[in-house]
Formats: sequence, structure tokens, C-alpha cells
Amino acid sequence: MLCFWLLYLFFIERRDILKSFYIKRIVSMLVTIILITTLTFTMMHSIPGGPFTRERPVPDEIMRALNAKYNLDDPLIIQYLNYMKGLVTFDLGPSYSKIGTTVNDLIESGFPASAKIGLMATAIIVIIGIPLGVISALKQNKPIDYLVMFLATLGITVPSFVVATVIIYVFAGKLGWIPSFGIENKLGYIGPVIALAGYSLSFVTRLTRSSMLEVLRQDYIRTARANGIKEFSVIMKHAIRNALIPVVTYIGPMIAAILTGSFVIEKIFVIPGIGRHFVESVTNRDYTTIMGITVFYAVFYLIMVFFVDVAYTLIDPRIKFGEDK
Amino acid sequence: MDKNKFVFVEQTGEDSETVRPSLTYWQDAWRRLKKNKLSMIGIFTVILIILFGVLGPYFTNYSYSDQVNKYKNLAPRLELYEINGEFFHVSNDYNVFLVSEDGTLIDRLELNPLNRDMLKKVYKYTYGDEFVILDFSYNLLPTKMGYDYDKTLEYKGEVVTQPVATKWNKTFPFGTDGLGRDLLTRVMYGARISLLVAFIATLVNLFIGVIYGSISGFEGGRLDNIMMRIVDIINSVPLTLYVILLMVWFRGGGLMNIIIALSSVYWVSMARLVRGQMLSLKEQEFVLAARVMGVSKRKIIFKHLIPNAMGPIIVSMAMMIPSAVFTESFLSFIGLGVSAPQASWGTLANNALPGLTTYPYQLFFPALSIAFTMLAFNFIGDGLRDALDPRLRKG
Repeated sequence: MLCFWLLYLFFIERRDILKSFYIKRIVSMLVTIILITTLTFTMMHSIPGGPFTRERPVPDEIMRALNAKYNLDDPLIIQYLNYMKGLVTFDLGPSYSKIGTTVNDLIESGFPASAKIGLMATAIIVIIGIPLGVISALKQNKPIDYLVMFLATLGITVPSFVVATVIIYVFAGKLGWIPSFGIENKLGYIGPVIALAGYSLSFVTRLTRSSMLEVLRQDYIRTARANGIKEFSVIMKHAIRNALIPVVTYIGPMIAAILTGSFVIEKIFVIPGIGRHFVESVTNRDYTTIMGITVFYAVFYLIMVFFVDVAYTLIDPRIKFGEDK
Repeated sequence: MDKNKFVFVEQTGEDSETVRPSLTYWQDAWRRLKKNKLSMIGIFTVILIILFGVLGPYFTNYSYSDQVNKYKNLAPRLELYEINGEFFHVSNDYNVFLVSEDGTLIDRLELNPLNRDMLKKVYKYTYGDEFVILDFSYNLLPTKMGYDYDKTLEYKGEVVTQPVATKWNKTFPFGTDGLGRDLLTRVMYGARISLLVAFIATLVNLFIGVIYGSISGFEGGRLDNIMMRIVDIINSVPLTLYVILLMVWFRGGGLMNIIIALSSVYWVSMARLVRGQMLSLKEQEFVLAARVMGVSKRKIIFKHLIPNAMGPIIVSMAMMIPSAVFTESFLSFIGLGVSAPQASWGTLANNALPGLTTYPYQLFFPALSIAFTMLAFNFIGDGLRDALDPRLRKG
């Protein structure tokens, strides 16, 4: 109740405290993180049977010892407070199914690989997707437009796990150009990056195209052309900048797509990233790891979206946050 | 001037005022939708897929869980070797099948473990009193390199090296999986599950989202603020994460659990959309008129506001169905899907993964079904958007 009352005070009654957009965003981020953690904690602890319940019953003494070792015999509220305390110091607790490793270890070992692939995918989306969309809009209803749109539609409709398996089957299996799993070899990045980028790449291409078409019909473009500005600078200086604003909006959801996409991609390509640890922990019912990685993802996502929003206000001076529409 | 030079202009009908039959909003939208070829193809495809899933299983000889042990991992295309008028098929895992000329399976030949020579890579299968001898050592053993064929089949002293024909598998048109289950039936059954999950989840999302959004938008003020803050908080984390958490919480698969998980999360986007519509609609005069006449809030929302917001709602619903199919297959793929022997397209694709290099067809059909469905619903969604909300039309 107290929690709700505080929330109410923060967001509705005393909103004058939160006048500044950044403070407001940071506070709401913190509140969201606390809520998400509480939610995952409650869910993971309300599953019937403890984390050590096996098909063959474990002897009582061992059970008691295990519970004592992981502090599972404390009252739930103490466990919760301990978990929150750990969270502040970035300690996500031990993994229940991988004995001797902590969730921190898993995240630390997985993050570099996941981050590399995610960054490369993002780079590909921006470097290839936007120019393709622009070209497609400039050559509207010409063969190249149809080709690009065909590929983009295909990219949106074919699930990433199918793209990944087809890549493995054709390029790794039949042609042998790239290794079929792992990223020890540089070439190993090609498959996962393409599969991970596929959906968002297609989406960005389509979005850029339609927003570019919209902008090209605007009056100020006609004015620019009438003023005798070269077509090249009309496109580069006037059209693209405005056409990119909706594309920037998509970056938030794109981060989400890349994060969750990595579950499947890392599983298929056997990449030791966070996504694979997460999927493994889901199959093993490793509750602390599920909890820890979920919280990690949520925090990571919130921070990324926050940066995108800040960048967004900087890019487009017309947009002001913190005002109710 | 001679009066007779003036002639009456014949009435052609072009000058008369053209009268168009008045159309309601929905008739007009349907007229526009019919003009859109891609959407019509989409609608047609969706109907076909639904028929395929609903009626299809009644026309196959197997149920989705029937296992025919002797016919495991059979491809949809069979290479036939002809010897003495008999047709044989050698599968990728070195089973020899007796097949009729048109591709109907007759039987699998027995292989006595004693007749299996792993070193020389020669297997002798029993067929009646005779043996069919398969020698697949070519290009495998160091002493037998450089042949343009990989295996030979010998029966009654006659040896063949090349298949005479490649025929469609008449018994199992899509082949069988690793447990000898008919893939055609399973893909049909998968269509049922995938579409059922998608439709129900979308309907529930629609229901919750529309009611939540319209209350929030119509009431406005403090209630709106609180309700939208809740939506913001839910929306501030990738929705797939919630679905995965819920599925873990439910302790695994099951049709019902997937539907509940999907429909308890994805309504937020619908709620936002409906709220936005409500905010602009409630300021219009017809709402004022209704209020003046003392219509209750509930009636204003359900009789006046929601019907007017139906266009964008339907468009967003059409887009929600494919994303539900997508999410369901994604869940099945990471092992949180329906429980065996039930199968959705996602589980079928997942099951095909381990044997991908040897049995690629097992992935091909479920993947193709997902892609077709997504494509069809996307076309319908695009068409509906253009038809229902011409202002949004792009390109």
C-alpha cells in the first residue's frame, strides 16, 4: 500500500518535483526496475516446489542443508530484501543449476559475445537498411524498388530461426563458406549477425522508404528544388534528415528485438552469450539465473531506451518531452 | 443564318449528373479492399490455410501422434533404384524401402544386425529369400575415392549405381519425422494450434485493450494518468520477456498457458491506440449530444465511441495476429511451447533442428507455413489500413 501511495505521490500529486524531463525519466526508470524485480522475484518464488525439487525426492537433511546454504529458509520478505540489497551492489546471487557459478559470472562471460553480435547487427541495420530505404523511395515503382521491397517483406515474414537454420544449411553445410557454430573464427560472426539483423533490417528499410516518400511530397522539398538546389543536396540535406526521425523512434523496439532475438540465434549458432544462458536457465528451471538475467535485460533495455530518447530530443528540436499532450 | 443549321445535340447521358449509390463506411472500405490485389491474395491464402488446418487432418490416413516405426525420416522426394522390375529407395540413414513405381511405400526391408558390415560399409537386407546388398563405401573409404556415385545396390546379381527416377512420396507427401509421424498431418495440426493461439490471444487482447483504453481515454484526468502509467511501466521492458517469465511460472507448455501468457501482455499497445482514438473522439459534437440527452457513460463508450474507432482497431488487430503466430513459434522454439505430441509450427521447426543437415525437409514445411501465414496477414493488414483509414495511406 505504501509503495502505491508513494508512486501516486511521485507521478500524480507532486509532479512539480518531476518537472525536469531527465529527472522524471530517471526516477520512473528506477521505479520500473524495482517493480520488475519485485514481479520476477514474486513469480519465481511462488512456483510450487523449491529450486531443488527433483523427480526423485531429495533426503530431508540434504534439502535442509541446501536451503540453509542458499538462505532459502529465511522468511520470504528477508530473502526479498537480501535480493534487493544484492541488486544495489550488482550481486545477482548464485546459480542453482550450475553449481559453483554465480549469475554474475554467467552474465560477465556471456556479455562480450552477445554485445559484439548485437552491435554488429545494429551497425548493419543502420548502414544497409537506411540507404536501401532511401534508394527504394527515390526509385519508387521501378524494378529496384520492387526488389528491395520484396526482400524486405520476406525479411519481416520469415522468422529469425528459419533464417538462421537456412544460413547454416546452405552457407555452412552445402557451401562450407562459414563455420556452422561458434565464433572462434571471424567468419563465424556472419551467420548470427545476418540472422539477428534480418527482421529489423527489413523493418528499417520499409520505414525509411515510406517516411522518405512522405517527406519528398512536402512543400519545402518543392521549394528547395524551385530554388535551384542540386537534387543531391535536396535529398541529402533536406529530405533524409527529416525522413530519419520516425526511424530513430524505431530504435527502442529494435533493441528489444535484438535482445530477445539473441535467445534463438545464440541457441542455434551455439554462441556462449547471455541469450543462450537465459534459454538454458529456462529449460533447467534455474530460477535465480532467470531472475538475474531478466533484471539485467530490463535494466539494459531501459538505459538504452533512455539514451535513445535523449538523443532524440537533441536530434529534433521540435520534440519536447515532459509535457502532457 | 439559316435556322435549320442548328441541330439539337443528342442527349448522351454523359451530361446528366452521375449518381453514385451511397455507401456506408464499411461498404466503402470493402470496395477499396477488393481493389487491392495483394490483400485479396492474402485473404484467399488465409482461408486456404484455415481450411488446410481444419479440414485437412480428416483427409490424411494418420493422426498427428501416430507413429509408424518402420517409416522414420522419410523424405517427400524418393530416389528410386530399379532392379529386375522392382523399385527400391535408400534413405539417408541407410534404410532400404520397397516402393512401387509411382512412389507408394510398400515395406521396409529387414536388416539383420549380423549382415551389417560397418568396416566395409556393406549392408545386406533381407528381401524374401534373397538379399539386397547396399554398398555405400564409395567416396567414404580411402581406397574407394574418385567415383561419381556414392553407393551401389545389388539384387539377384544385378548392380545399379544410379537412381532411375525421383518420385513424390505418395504415402507421406511431406515425409515423416524421426518418430515416423506423418509430417503433412502434423503441419496441418500445427496450423490449427498456431492459428488457434493467434486468434484467441488476439481476441482477448482486443477485448482487454479496447475496454482498458476506452475507459482511460474517456475518463481522462487522474484515472487516465494512473492507467497510462501502468501501461508505460509494462511497456518499458521487452514484452517477450514477460511472456517467457509467465511461461516459466506456469511450469512449461500447454495450449492454455500460451494463450494466457500471450493475452496478458500484448494488450498494452491496443490500449494505447484506443486511448488515443478516444481522446480525439470524445471532444466531437455527437458525444456532446449524447451526453446532453443523458446517455450513460457505458452506452456512450460502447455505442458511440468504439464503433467510430473501429477502423484503426481492426487494422491493429490484423497486424496482431501474425505477431502472435510469430511469438508462439518463438516460444515453442526455445522449448516453452505446446507439450508433445501436440505440435505447433514452432515446435515442428524446433524438432527439425538437430537433423537439419540430413533431413532439411522437416524444417522446410513448417517454416514455409509460418512465412506464408505471416505474409498473408501482412498483406491483409496493409490493405485494411489503406481501405479503412485512407489518410494513413503511404506511397
